Amino acid sequence: MSRRAQLRRALRGVPSAAWLCALVACLNAVSWSFISPPFEVPDEQAHFAYVEQLARAHRLPSSGSEEYASDELLALDDLEVGRVTFQPEHGTIASRAAQQKLQSDLAGAVTSSQLGVGAAGDAASQPPLYYALEAIPYELGASGGVLDQLALMRLVSALMAGVSALFVFLFLREALPSTPRAWTVAGLGVAFFPMLGFISGAVTPDAMLCAVSAVIFYCLARGFRRGLTPGLAIAIGVLTAVGFLTKLNFLGLAPGVVLGLALLARRASATVGVGAALRMLAPALAIAATPVLVYVLVNLFSHHRTLGISSGVIAATASHSLGGELSYLWQLYLPRLPGMHVDFADISPLRYLWFRGLLGEYGFEDTFFPGWVESVALLPVLAIAALCAREVFKRRRAFRPRVAELGVYFALVLGLLVLIGISSYQWFPAEAAGFPEPRYLLPLAPLFGVALALATRGAGRRWGAVSGVLIVVLFIAHDLFSQLQVIARYYG
Amino acid sequence: MRGARVALAGGLAAVAVALALVLSHPPAILARPSAIEQVNTILAIVPGAGSGCQAGETLPAHTSAIRLSLESSAGPRVAVTVRAGQTVVAHGESAPGWLGKVVTIPVEPLDRTVPNTTVCFAFTGAEERVYFLGVLAPRRGATRTSVGLLQGRMAIEYLRAGNTSWWSLAHSTARRLGLGRAWAGTWIALLVASLMASSIVLASWLTLRESR
Repeated sequence: MSRRAQLRRALRGVPSAAWLCALVACLNAVSWSFISPPFEVPDEQAHFAYVEQLARAHRLPSSGSEEYASDELLALDDLEVGRVTFQPEHGTIASRAAQQKLQSDLAGAVTSSQLGVGAAGDAASQPPLYYALEAIPYELGASGGVLDQLALMRLVSALMAGVSALFVFLFLREALPSTPRAWTVAGLGVAFFPMLGFISGAVTPDAMLCAVSAVIFYCLARGFRRGLTPGLAIAIGVLTAVGFLTKLNFLGLAPGVVLGLALLARRASATVGVGAALRMLAPALAIAATPVLVYVLVNLFSHHRTLGISSGVIAATASHSLGGELSYLWQLYLPRLPGMHVDFADISPLRYLWFRGLLGEYGFEDTFFPGWVESVALLPVLAIAALCAREVFKRRRAFRPRVAELGVYFALVLGLLVLIGISSYQWFPAEAAGFPEPRYLLPLAPLFGVALALATRGAGRRWGAVSGVLIVVLFIAHDLFSQLQVIARYYG
Repeated sequence: MRGARVALAGGLAAVAVALALVLSHPPAILARPSAIEQVNTILAIVPGAGSGCQAGETLPAHTSAIRLSLESSAGPRVAVTVRAGQTVVAHGESAPGWLGKVVTIPVEPLDRTVPNTTVCFAFTGAEERVYFLGVLAPRRGATRTSVGLLQGRMAIEYLRAGNTSWWSLAHSTARRLGLGRAWAGTWIALLVASLMASSIVLASWLTLRESR
């Protein structure tokens, strides 16, 4: 069978429900792309500058400063971004005169824009794949100016929300094959998850990282259910390389992926033999490691630090005490233990950074729900957790043979959390939580889907359908009120 | 299947009612125009605990929250006390874990405006830095803090409930949503509404189909 025929057959095998979940995720992200004001999403200015540098100079950014191209600076100025960001008392521009000035300035800048010094702010150290992809809509919108380009680039990110939801659905089909209804509930839950919509409605590599991660989760689950094949091993290797080229945060997921590949190869060796298993594993690992090796070689030959910005993180980590760092990592996610140094005096990071953040932290991390919403939100969260726990307890025996697979998922979670913690510790104690943002957890969306699917099953045969419907309605409500919160913040 | 239909209809109806109720409330607005348009000057950086008092303020009638220009990435709980002479006229405490350049502290509203007040604030954090933001001002009116007299005054804003509901602001909000865009116009609000309506209809149909 030809590759094209194989692909056609594989696409035909995807249930229509999965495509519809993807469509809903796309529509939701497109909606968010129109709601979030231009450049009022974390680091969107820097990501745009990176694309602009790549598309116009055909070079990677060379500076982490904020001396962007003149057309972007003009847009930031006319949109009053500096006045609006972090200051909820200021909304976006509100007059026709301001709009006309913006339009006329940007129209003039289309032909006269100066590229600047190759700066891309905080994004400068990121790998280029996402930005290279975004260079296509950037070029398509070139005649219209910065805002046209940004709008088109946001639409590309929105497509990635669709990929994320599609593969969360497919991941659940492999991981929990006995309950089709639960796949749809989880797919729609992820599709309406406002943090995914918000991030995928903006220009940021987090949107692509989430999609890549969802595909990797699917491939790993498929491998554990059906066994590793040469094609699947190569696919995981390629996806790992794509992950490395998408965002540095993928470094946190990489150990889990490598562990998964190794365990799948070990399992395959029982049926196809050790030699054949190694022949599947070796090319996959080689492909996965290629971007890292190329990056190291380029840095060595250009006399830069061997691991680029990561060298800085490692050096900063080495200058801190290991005990202090471990204590910080623990406290960032779990309640402080007796005897630990107080790193977060007055706050519980679990509640105030992660729960509140995932519940609703939008705009430039300056748009939240009122405090009482957190208390109300605890009720459905606890209900879902209880149903999930019930299902896990009821089927605990079914999980035992899948310890290796669960271990891989655990390694993926742990790796990402540790990476976020280590990166954040660089700024500690001046900033207790300068780096950890809930959006960094989006690559774990497939496991979030698992929780929703287990909760649907946990309600039992009689109430399962009702519970599934209520979970979907809950996420619709969460999404709608999140959008209103952003609208009220910027346009009210 | 019938149970799923009832749950969907009931759930969506509850969301619609909640939406209507939320939009019937007035948004919080500034009780009086801010004297400081853009606050970017760092007047002091305090690691861990800090406090301060700023005299020469006026507490407007019906103030339901006070917004202080402090910056942090995981800010501590901040207590604020407003005094007129020796009398405490308002007091409140923020939730911890705030992020950004302002912290909003709810207070009990008064029916009258109180002039010549002193606004004092205090917080006890760990080691995280908290920035005091404001504008440069003569020493006479400067803010006194735990790290000494600042070089200026901190930005303090007073919020109260507005007079009109979100419903009556719908048109102006939709108009503003359409500004600062590539393809500007109020139609963007309609597009957003259509996109969300389509998503909800699609998801509802799919959920019911898969509930069979």
